[in-house]
Amino acid sequence: MRRILSSITDGKGFDLIMVGVTMLFLFALAGVPLVYNVVMSFQQVDMFNLNTFSRPFAGFENYVAIVSQPEFWLVIRNTAIFVFGSIAGQFIFGFALAIFFMLSFPFASTIRGLFLVSWVMPGLVVGALWGWILAGDFGVLNAILRGLGIIDGTMFWKSDPNLSIWAVTIANIWLGLAFNMMLLSVGLAGIPRDLYEAAELDGANGWQRFTTITLPMMRSTIGAVLALGLIYTLQQFDLFPAITEGGPANSSNVAQYWAWQWSFQLFDFAKGATVSMMMLIFVLVASIVYVRSTRHEVRG
Amino acid sequence: MTRVAAPKLLLVLALALAAVYLFPLYWMYATSLKGASEIFANPPTFWPREPDFSIFPATWERRTMDTFLWNSLVIATGVTTLTVLLGTGCAYVLARYRNPWIDIGLFAILMLQVLPASVMITPLYVGFNQIGLLDYPRTAVIIAAAGKSIPFYIVLVRATFMSVPSELEEAALVDGNSRWGAFFFIVLPLARNGILVLAILTFMQAFGEYIYSKSIITTQSLQPASVGLSGFLGPNSTDWNGIMAYAAMYVTPIILVFVILQRRIVSGLTSGALK
Repeated sequence: MRRILSSITDGKGFDLIMVGVTMLFLFALAGVPLVYNVVMSFQQVDMFNLNTFSRPFAGFENYVAIVSQPEFWLVIRNTAIFVFGSIAGQFIFGFALAIFFMLSFPFASTIRGLFLVSWVMPGLVVGALWGWILAGDFGVLNAILRGLGIIDGTMFWKSDPNLSIWAVTIANIWLGLAFNMMLLSVGLAGIPRDLYEAAELDGANGWQRFTTITLPMMRSTIGAVLALGLIYTLQQFDLFPAITEGGPANSSNVAQYWAWQWSFQLFDFAKGATVSMMMLIFVLVASIVYVRSTRHEVRG
Repeated sequence: MTRVAAPKLLLVLALALAAVYLFPLYWMYATSLKGASEIFANPPTFWPREPDFSIFPATWERRTMDTFLWNSLVIATGVTTLTVLLGTGCAYVLARYRNPWIDIGLFAILMLQVLPASVMITPLYVGFNQIGLLDYPRTAVIIAAAGKSIPFYIVLVRATFMSVPSELEEAALVDGNSRWGAFFFIVLPLARNGILVLAILTFMQAFGEYIYSKSIITTQSLQPASVGLSGFLGPNSTDWNGIMAYAAMYVTPIILVFVILQRRIVSGLTSGALK
């Protein structure tokens, strides 16, 4: 007993308690639900057996039912547009801004920091703002685009089935752009300045310096940013209920919102768990890429 | 990349970029001050013709924002407390050692960080229902949201602890402190700033939490401001000046805290976020 006590005050016991309690909590709140989710996706779950653990085994019925839903491929397509559109937009604009803010001028880092305000705002508020900006008849984006002569008529961003997924994607690009820029700035700041000076002496122009120094030196940063982009985009939920609610006719529905609708609007928890499981496969692939590209720093 | 380009010109360009980027925020405040007919003016007026500030108390009253914001405050405080209590010690131990077990722990935490809330909510809801936690919906949301924010907090606070020299702690141990004494009186005070910034960040995120609250809390008087906002928001909303007034009152405190602490938040985030 004494040995255990003194280990807790002075030795390994201290470390074990510190890590153990937290790990236990996380295991209960993330590990157990994850396993439970797998189990539910193979069960029949309805309102009557929601409170028991012994539910009829359903085999792959839920998976078959989900794949044969008429909107299944539409949701997949939308998820792909949302994910790749968001990542591409956030990354390209974020990278351009990060490079711009590396130039030396007064207040550069302060102004850059202001961009991050989008990232701390509640997702639902961002959704509300963009829902209003993108409104068809009275939205300010249409007014600006008309004023610039880019469009003639009115773009019904939220109610046109061809545009609705892009409405959410635009909002998500705005939301995630600043975070991308910040992480890329950290990477850019880590490139030694004298490399650029040497290249300049050798007569390399701006584009050559970018492709032969910036890109290769940023490889692991870019990998991590893209993987994080995939992870965060698949986590994005709040914009959907705020802007389009997945509509019209599922034309802006994505996997994460669809899973929630199954569980909390149709109360078919087994189907919700099934969609979640399918989505999780993509998340796991992204997280392996992410963990691999951060590994050496994390150990660091 | 002409490094000799006039810095003043670049500053103007940077300000213009920031103005374009932050336009949605301006539009929120501008719209909230417009009258019911002016919001539907075509083309829209970029500056409210007759700013009407009475919309703020009116919306506050009509949407029972005091209840909603109080619930947000309760949830955010609970999540932050739980996260700091559980995350700090764990981050410290993970920063102090380097062995395969620590690597496994870190790997597990990084993996937990990536689980989408929309995936976790279904099993959490069913599980909470089975153990009766849904009878205490705000507590249930606090626990669920803390499970989401702890991994993020650990990864970033760990980076802060890595910058505290271990020699100081060893000296304290030699002087007869217990591990607990060294941790609480030497290490924690040195890492105070980083912990504070991340606690604030955790608080701000929990203040805007939506999906768990929406799914778990069904009693309106217990719902946070995000769910309150979703109540009158959707593809067919028309009450836009009311919505923008609500949004403005909801986020202005967050924006103010962010602007004041901007420098620290950015450095706290970038020190460990990516790498």
